[in-house]
Amino acid sequence: MQKPHRVLLDRVSVYADEAAAFMRRRRVARRPFARLYYPHGRSADHAQDSRSGAELFVAAGRLIEVAGKREKG
Amino acid sequence: MIQEARARVTPGIFADMADAAPAAAPDKESAEAALAFLTEMSPDLRGAAILGPEGEVLAATGEGPERWREDAAALFAAADGAEDVPVEQVHIATEQGEVFAIRNAGLAAVTVTERFALASLMLFDMRSTLRQLASPNFGTPGGTEPRRDD
Repeated sequence: MQKPHRVLLDRVSVYADEAAAFMRRRRVARRPFARLYYPHGRSADHAQDSRSGAELFVAAGRLIEVAGKREKG
Repeated sequence: MIQEARARVTPGIFADMADAAPAAAPDKESAEAALAFLTEMSPDLRGAAILGPEGEVLAATGEGPERWREDAAALFAAADGAEDVPVEQVHIATEQGEVFAIRNAGLAAVTVTERFALASLMLFDMRSTLRQLASPNFGTPGGTEPRRDD
C-alpha cells in the first residue's frame, strides 16, 4: 500500500501533466486567424490565403509593428 | 413576419441609443486617462490607441500617433471591405501578437496584445472604456470615470 503523501504527489503530478497537455493543445490549435464581428452577433472568419484575409493580416502586422515590444514587466 | 419587422425596427432603435454616437468628441485629456486605465487593466497589452469619430487619434501609447491613425484606418478599411459591411469588432491573431479593434459610441479603439490574450475580456474592457469615454459625465466628479480602489 502506498503512503498517503505518495498518493497526493502522484495526483498533483497527473494534474500538472494534464494542464501541460492542455496548454500544448491550445497552442497548436490556435493558428493565426482573422475574425470579424458584425452587428447582431454575427461573426465571420477570413482565411489567411483569401484576399480579404491577406489584407487583414497585413494591416494587423503593421499595427503590431507600431505597438512594438512589450514594455511592462 | 415578426422577425422581418424586428429586423427593420431594431437598427433604428440602436441608432437612437446613447451608444450610437457621442454628443461631442471627447477631449484628448479624457482619452489619455481612459487609455491609461485600459493599459493598467490589461496585463497583456503592448500598445493601444483611441480614435475619434473622424478616425483622428485622441490618445495612443508610445510615439507616432500618425502611424496609429494610418494603420488603424487601414485595418478598418480592410475589415469593412471584407463583406462590404461595417464591422463592430475585429480580432486577428498572428504569430507575433494579437490585434483587437472595436467601434462603440462613435469612437474606436485598437489594441495590440501578447499572443493568447483573453479575447472576450479584452473586447469587454475596450467596449466599456469607449462607452465611459463617450459619456458626457466622464472625468467629472461623480461621473463615470473608472474608479480605482487603491
